[in-house]
Formats: sequence, C-alpha cells, structure tokens
Amino acid sequence: MSTVFSVLYIYLDSIAFLLLSSLGLIIILGMMGITNMAHGEFMMLGAYTCALATHAGCPLFLSIVLAMVAVGLLGMIMESVIIRRLYGNLLQSLVATWGLSLILSQGMLILMGPSLPSIPMPLGGVMLGGRSYAIYRMLLPLIGVVVVVGLGLILFRTSFGMKARATMQNPEISRAMGVNTKLIYLLVFGLGCGLTGLAGALYAPTTVLGPLYGANFLAPAFVTVVVSGGANVILGALMASVILGVVEGSFSYAFGAVIGRLSLLIATMLLIRFFPDGLSGWLVKRGGGR
Amino acid sequence: MIRRFLRELNGPQSLGSRGLFWSSFGLCVVVMVLLPAFVSEYEVGNFTYFLTNIFLALGLSMMWGLGNILSFGQMAFFGLAGYSYGVIAANLAPVTDNTFLACILAVLVTMAGAALLGYFLFFGRVSGVYVSIITLVTTLIFETFMAQTAGPKWAIGKALLGGYNGMVGIPSLQFRWGNELIEFFDVPLYYLVIALLLVTYLALRWLANSRYGNALVATGSNPVRTEMLGYDIRLVQLEVFTLAGGLAGLSGVLYVSWGHYITPSTMGLTTAALPVVWVAFGGRKSLLATMVAAIGLQYFAQYLSMTGSQHALVIQGALLMLVVMFVPEGVIPPVGRAIGRWWRRGTKEGDPS
Amino acid sequence: MSTPILSLEHVTKRFGGVTAVDDVSFAINEGELRCLIGPNGAGKSTLFRLITGYFPVTSGTIRYRGGDLGALPSFRRARMGISIKFQTPMVYYDQTMLQNLVVPLQRRLPVPQARRDAAVLLDKFGIGDGAHKLASEVAHGYRQWLEICMAVATRPSLLLLDEPTAGMSPEETKATAGMIHDLVGEGMTVVVIDHDMEFVRMLNCNLTVLHLGRFFAQGTLAEIQANPEVRSIYLGKK
Repeated sequence: MSTVFSVLYIYLDSIAFLLLSSLGLIIILGMMGITNMAHGEFMMLGAYTCALATHAGCPLFLSIVLAMVAVGLLGMIMESVIIRRLYGNLLQSLVATWGLSLILSQGMLILMGPSLPSIPMPLGGVMLGGRSYAIYRMLLPLIGVVVVVGLGLILFRTSFGMKARATMQNPEISRAMGVNTKLIYLLVFGLGCGLTGLAGALYAPTTVLGPLYGANFLAPAFVTVVVSGGANVILGALMASVILGVVEGSFSYAFGAVIGRLSLLIATMLLIRFFPDGLSGWLVKRGGGR
Repeated sequence: MIRRFLRELNGPQSLGSRGLFWSSFGLCVVVMVLLPAFVSEYEVGNFTYFLTNIFLALGLSMMWGLGNILSFGQMAFFGLAGYSYGVIAANLAPVTDNTFLACILAVLVTMAGAALLGYFLFFGRVSGVYVSIITLVTTLIFETFMAQTAGPKWAIGKALLGGYNGMVGIPSLQFRWGNELIEFFDVPLYYLVIALLLVTYLALRWLANSRYGNALVATGSNPVRTEMLGYDIRLVQLEVFTLAGGLAGLSGVLYVSWGHYITPSTMGLTTAALPVVWVAFGGRKSLLATMVAAIGLQYFAQYLSMTGSQHALVIQGALLMLVVMFVPEGVIPPVGRAIGRWWRRGTKEGDPS
Repeated sequence: MSTPILSLEHVTKRFGGVTAVDDVSFAINEGELRCLIGPNGAGKSTLFRLITGYFPVTSGTIRYRGGDLGALPSFRRARMGISIKFQTPMVYYDQTMLQNLVVPLQRRLPVPQARRDAAVLLDKFGIGDGAHKLASEVAHGYRQWLEICMAVATRPSLLLLDEPTAGMSPEETKATAGMIHDLVGEGMTVVVIDHDMEFVRMLNCNLTVLHLGRFFAQGTLAEIQANPEVRSIYLGKK
C-alpha cells in the first residue's frame, strides 16, 4: 500500500513539475509561435517576487498570487517593447529572448547578489511506511489541475478566450472580424508569463533561490513543450506532462535524478521522431483537436 | 590549379572578394604571425585562448548563417571533445607521449555524436525552433550529467571525470621527435592555432562558395523549394551540423590543451549563449565578421571584468537583443561595405559584377 | 496504348475533418498539355502537393510512369523527373535571379558552367536584365518566370505549374502561354492549374475539371466550354 502511494507520489510530483513549468511556454508558443528563451528568468522573477513579499510579511498564498500578477505585467511590458517587433520570425524572436534572458539573470545577480534567503516549505510532512512526504508537494498536482481547469475556462468560456482561439487559428480573419489582435497578443503573452511566474513562485519554497533558479526548470519545461506541440494547448500540455512525467518518475525512482533527466531527453527524441509536430499536432491532424 | 582554387574562394557567400579585402587579410595574417615579438607571453597566451573559440563560432556561422539552423549544441560538442581528449590522452599516456592521436580521436568522437544527434533531428524532419530547443536541452543535460560525475567510480580507464570540479591535469598537445618531446603551449601553441585557423577559414570559405555552399544556402532559405529541385535536404543539414560539431570539438581540444582542465560549466546556460552573441553580433552570414566579432567581444568582456564591472554578460545580452531587433544581419557587414565603398570612391575602381 | 506518365487512382486526402480531395481518378499521357480547372477550393493545389510528395495521400495510388509513388520523399520524386512551380512563388528571395537558377542547374553541371547556363536561360525567357538583382527586388511577373525557369532547369519529364499567370499582365500571360507551348513541343508533359480562362483558352488543351475535391468532368476545350454543368459550378447554380 505504501509502495503504491510512494510511486503515485513520485509520478504526480513529476507530472505536476512538468505541467506547471511548461504551461506558460506552451501558451505562448501555441498561440503566438514565439519561443520564450527567457522562460527560466521569468520563473526566477516569480520566485523572487514571492520570496521578497513573504519575507516582508505577506502570507505565502498572497505572495504567490502577487508573483503571478507581477510577472504577467512584466511580460506584457516585454511584449509591447520587444516581442511585438518580431512576429512571424521564429528564430529572431528566439535569439532576442535569449538576449533578454542573459540581461535578466545577470542583472538580477548584480542587483540582488548570488542568492536570496529561502522560503521555508509550509505545511510540514506526513509519515507513511517509513518515508516522509511533504504535504506542500502533494498539493502541487492539485494546484496544477486547478490551473489547467482555470485556463480551460478562460479559453472556452470567456469572450477573451474565444477571441484568443480565433486569433490563434487565423489572425487575418479575426482581424477582419473586428478582433483587436494586437491586444489579444499582449494579453496572451501576459497570461503565459503570469502562469510562468506562478510556477516559479509555487516551487520557490522547495529549493534554494538564486539568479539561475530557472535553469533547473528549463530543460524539463522545454522538452514538455516540444512533446506537446503548440496546436492544442491544454490537451498537448496534459498529454506531454503525463507521458514524460511517468517516464521521468520511473527512471529517477530507479536510477536517480540525473538519469531521470536523461530519460526525459531520450524520450523526447523518440517521441518527436514519431510526432514531429508534437502530440497535439498529431491529434489535430487526426481531426480530434482544435 | 592554385589560381582556380583562389578564384573559388570568392563567391556569393563571401563579403569581400577583391584586392582591398585580400590585401588587408594578408596584412592581418602578417601582424598575427609577428605578434609574439611585440607583446608579452601572457598576452599571447590570452589571445590564444580567445582564438581557440573561433572554430566553434565559425561552425555556428556556417550552420546558422548559411543553413538557417540555430543549434545551441556547440558547447555540448566543445565539452564532449574536451572530456574525450582528456580521457583518451590519460589512457594512452603509458603507451605514447603523442597526444595528437587523442586530439584526432576526440574530434572524431564528437563528430560521431553530432552525426547521431543530427540524424535524429534532420531525418526526423524536426522543424527549426524545435532543433534549437532540443540542442539546448542536450547541452544542459550533458552539463547536469557531467556535474554529478564526482568520485572515484566515475572514471573511464585512467581518467577521473571529476564531477562539478571537472577534469584536471590534461596534457598539452605534444609529440615525440626522436628524443625530444615537442610540447605545444604558449607561443608554439599560438602558432599552431593560427595555422589551424588560417586553414580552417580558407577551407570553410571555399566550401561556402562551392556547390555544397549553394545547396546549404538554398536549404536554409527555402527547404521545400530546394527539396523539389532534387536535393536531399536532410543530408545537407546533417552534413553542416556534423561539420559544425567537429569544429566545436576542435575548439574543445585546443582549449583543454591550452588550459589543461575542463569543467561542466563550459556547457552551462550562460556559456552556451556566448557563441550565439558573437555570431549574431558580428554577422552570421560572414565567416570573417564572425571571427572579428568573436575576438572583439571576448576582449570586450575581459576588459569589462578587469575594470571591476560585472556587467559584461548583461551588456552582451543587450547587444544581442538590439542587434536582432535593429540590425539583424550583424554589425560588421554594413561597416565592411561602407569601407569598401569609401575605398572605391578613393581609387575609382569599377562596379562589382 | 503506352502507360500514362501520371495516373491518379482513387486518390483521397483528408485533413482532420475536411476532405480536400475525394476519390479522384484520371490519367495524363506523356507529352500532353493538360489544364486542371475548377472553382476555388476544388482541391487542385492539394493534388499537386500530393503528386510532389509534400504530404502523403490518405488513400489511393499515384502512379508515375506506372510505378506507385507511395511514400517516396519529395526529392526522390524530383530526381525521377517531376518538377513544380508553386502557387505562391517559391524562389530564394534573398539571392540574385542568377543565383536562384544556379541551384537547380548545379545538380548536373559544375558550378561555373551552371552560372553561364543560368545567364543564357534567363535571357531565353526574356528576364536576363534582372540576373543580378535580388529576387525580392524584381517585378512579380519576373519572379513567376524565374520559378518556371528553375522548375524547367532540372530537365523534368512532368512539369506542374500552379497558377503561372497569377498577377501577370495580358502581354505577360500571352508570353507564358507561348513558353508552355514551346516546352510541350520539346516533349515535356505539362499540367497547368489556372483560373484565368483567357489563358486556358490560349493553351488550347484537354481540361480536367474538379469541384469540391471530386473529379467533375474531362474533355477537350471545346467540349468543356460547351458543358452547361461546368458553367453552373462556376456560377454557383449547383
């Protein structure tokens, strides 16, 4: 029984990690075709905002929300100043956001030094079968579900969501129908960055904080994006994080964290061999997606 | 024969092709050869370090500038070659003093690795952005993997991998001539590197203007059109990717024989970014611009850190962003063309054709 | 009766829920000039893309010289003698017209000779004055002809032209018709998609009509022109 629980814990933990850290990236890639190489830095900014707020006395829950809002706003500023100029040119936007990531991470190093005092993980732990499990980490998959459901509601039940999906499908027709596509892109980028900041803040209590905080999430987030593809944000993210989460969970349980990471890369290479447009791309081609 | 080769060095893929260009080029070569007579050994060693990175940058320039393949994997191949050289040299040490064999094997191993990764990417028809992402992830995961190789059980033969602190005590490039051990470090290494650089530059320039170069440019510009003209674009891409990997490997081997050590941080996020900055800033379509930018930016970064500024990386990040947004072809080609125009106005040469 | 150079047998192509090509069958003989016409969305360009291998068929067979093309990648089909000029001009915009033409020519010639032949070919098509201009800088008609030049430079047996006269003036359209007749005269099989009925009349060849992804009618120019059903699908009475 406790083995089942521990295996379930590992899988859900892995899946949640991949889902939360990649969702913002997938939204931006799927809806705007932009690869945000400053993704790790946005996670770092989310974690830093959360940490600074918490150390200033804010309750953790509120700090996390604040982090999401702050990074979302920052993302919108970035979009209007930088990203906007680079639509349609995929490699240019990749390189430009790469430069941005250098500025942000090194700038933060200069501004705030090599580390920030960490946030203690709340809620303690529970013992089961001789192992202890952190309650906070068990909450994260649930939070992941809430985020995905929330995103689904936004995309499918609000007029903003409808306009966003229409713009993603066919920007010219949407513009012709009166949708302010510039505003949509701004808001979608902000949403993607906000979710990224949220993920950074959520994981802040679990680890040390420094300017390269995001580097740890970069490889997992990016492989999840590649496996998901951009064609269907929600289904792609879910399928990719579940499949990769199970692979990573299994290998890291058996062979340790580094082999787990390696298995992510190898699984991704194999999956893109068969699904060069990601899982959601394959799904859409078969007529199942949007 | 030589005249035909020289003519083939000029072509559509090269910036400067006429008298002014080649005479300035020759002048630079002469200056570089005479350099050790005028500056300290430390300066020569420093310059050598900067030069070792150029092969890597040239590979990226061919791949990205001509073939439109943005790979972040160059540092992974750099590291792979550095570690391989260390491992092979350490294991061959009791048998022979000649480390050139280790050098060649290390570069071959790296090219094999590049070919394997490239096969998956290009024969799997993976699209541009995903190639960038996957090569970046490969570099990062390679770094993570090497960083945890601390301890005695992480050894290949006689060579300890060293984990986070890396591999030390790597021998220089050397060989035995009769009774003498000829070691390449300081000034001899400098001359070896310049010689390799000259050969590499001319060879790449010839390649860029050859039939393959035209095919590479066509593939980068419009892969669908190129494939429908009968080219196997997967192979074209694989070939340049493997070549670039080999060049990165050469940089790696020269680096470890210069510094005698290698650490996983050479495959970290910020280090992986630098070649992209040099190539983008200089002008990715031009081999010469890439070389100039690579040397210049490295000196610039060193100057900044020597004067106590921590801003080297921030500034380079900003340069990268600004260049991509406002001068996407790079800074040096417009400057080079302006120089060419000014010169022609002065000497009243005819128009190019 | 020799094997047709191209034959489509029950070719179907579906994208998700949309059937772009629905059970289309017809054949084209070697050395023939054929026009593929039909209202917008009839699946003509998709058919060209299936023939060149841009994407695979959902079901059915495409035979080239009797052999099933199956899942052969595009470059192999090109090497077998199939060539295409795409609907939106696919040339190398950042290269000169001369450089553009060197790319196909250098497949069978050394580069210096490819450059000489490219200049000659550009002159033959009447666009030699743009040789050293970038493809992005020349007039649209020149670009169309450049792409036709490139498609012809590989000495194909089967040439597919997707809307070769789009955006051309009447004089340029007439010149294009002349070019195509010359190519057919040299033994090339040419299949043309176009909406310009004047141009189609100039070509004066057999027509295959597609409608809503399905084969609709086939016959000589005169027969199709006289066919009231064909007229109605264009006018929307159906």
